[in-house]
Amino acid sequence: MTANEKKSEMADPEIAVELSGVDKWFSILQVLHDVNLTVRCGEKVVVCGPSGSGKSTMIRCINYLEKHQKGRIVVNGTELTDNQKVIDRVRQDVGMVFQNFNLYPHLTVLENCTLAPRWVKGVARKDAEALARAYLERVRIPDKADFYPSQLSGGQQQRAAIARSLCMSPKIMLFDEPTSALDPELVREVLDTMAQLASDGMTMVCVTHEMGFARQVADRVVFMDAGRIIETAPPEEFFRNPRESRTKAFLSQILH
Amino acid sequence: MDFAYILEALPDLMTGLKTTLIVSFLAIFLSCLIGLVGAVLRKSGIKPLQYAVTAYVEFIRGTPYLVQIFFIFYGLPSLGLRFSIFWSGVIALTAWASAFQIENFRAGLAAVGSGMHDASASLGLKRWQHSIFIILPLATRAALPSAMNTIVATVKNSAYLQAIGLVELTFVAVDRIAYDFRAIEMFASICVIYLICVFTISGLGYMVERRLSRPFGGR
Repeated sequence: MTANEKKSEMADPEIAVELSGVDKWFSILQVLHDVNLTVRCGEKVVVCGPSGSGKSTMIRCINYLEKHQKGRIVVNGTELTDNQKVIDRVRQDVGMVFQNFNLYPHLTVLENCTLAPRWVKGVARKDAEALARAYLERVRIPDKADFYPSQLSGGQQQRAAIARSLCMSPKIMLFDEPTSALDPELVREVLDTMAQLASDGMTMVCVTHEMGFARQVADRVVFMDAGRIIETAPPEEFFRNPRESRTKAFLSQILH
Repeated sequence: MDFAYILEALPDLMTGLKTTLIVSFLAIFLSCLIGLVGAVLRKSGIKPLQYAVTAYVEFIRGTPYLVQIFFIFYGLPSLGLRFSIFWSGVIALTAWASAFQIENFRAGLAAVGSGMHDASASLGLKRWQHSIFIILPLATRAALPSAMNTIVATVKNSAYLQAIGLVELTFVAVDRIAYDFRAIEMFASICVIYLICVFTISGLGYMVERRLSRPFGGR
């Protein structure tokens, strides 16, 4: 069966990401246990949980930065396999923002933003630059286009990284602790950018400890511990009335 | 010290210097190329190639340079491989420098963090695009200071090639001393000439480094 047939067979235009029965091991250590999660188009899901609980690993499986060993991951109707064509197609639809920004240090912000559109999508240089400038405007750093990443503050770097992802016009954005490496006073500007993106209707999966952001933006909060999804609930319910004892213990530690 | 004698010997020394520079330049160029390829092979995941490169590096590092030169010039002909003095010299110097350049570039590759791979993969860049646009420039920058060190050593180590009769700078000096016994004049002169060469090269190296380290640093 070709990837295309798979796509048409399973296409449910409402569902952006579906993980079912996903297991993952790092050699003998099992880091994901039977993870089931459905993200609908336009939905914003915040994933939280103690360090080492598998949050990052889970979202890294969605664009195949990590390979799962059991279960199915379907992104926009395409089931992830180890076929490079399938992986490339999924990655076209999925943008990712990392804890440490991962900007290319030897390229300017503008070059960071135009590299992939030019070489992956074959967009002409002029058009790629116009697009990049438009997104840099949107993340409110239009004047930093010709700077190198190290000349920017952490918050500006992370916003540049968001712009770089958006330049590939993804349908889904993954955020892997996007504010954890930032000085406290720079967190706000990144969260504001993400909230704006959310209000534009982007499908988002965010691993974050910013509970204010979760309350403000999330449709659902997912709590993970020891490689399992323990609890999933809308934010008001999640914060006011958590069901599981592990969730309560976690919340009491981070909401002070 | 007899400066008149030095002046008289200068044309001879310049002829030697010319050979020194040609041999060094060829060896530097080839060893940087081999170094890059070797470092990539060493991280290629193809086991037999990795072992071969590692064995090569260990062999060169573990044996005296002079022995390597003799091995190539006196040893290889009995295996049916005969090269002129000039090419034996180029091969020996390249073989020595390559082992160190492989290690320099390997360190450079290791300095490129896994975050770069994550970024490129998530953006959908192909492996070769990531290698050329991201890894190559970043690894070269990281490897540059130690690669410059090896380049300077390559120039100096061309002096050993006088042992197989290559008429380079040191050979000329030693040869003249054998006739005229002006050891201090000759050795002082070639020391100064080597120093000038080395300072020129390290100067160029710093210029390249400065140019490459446009705002960089950080992550």
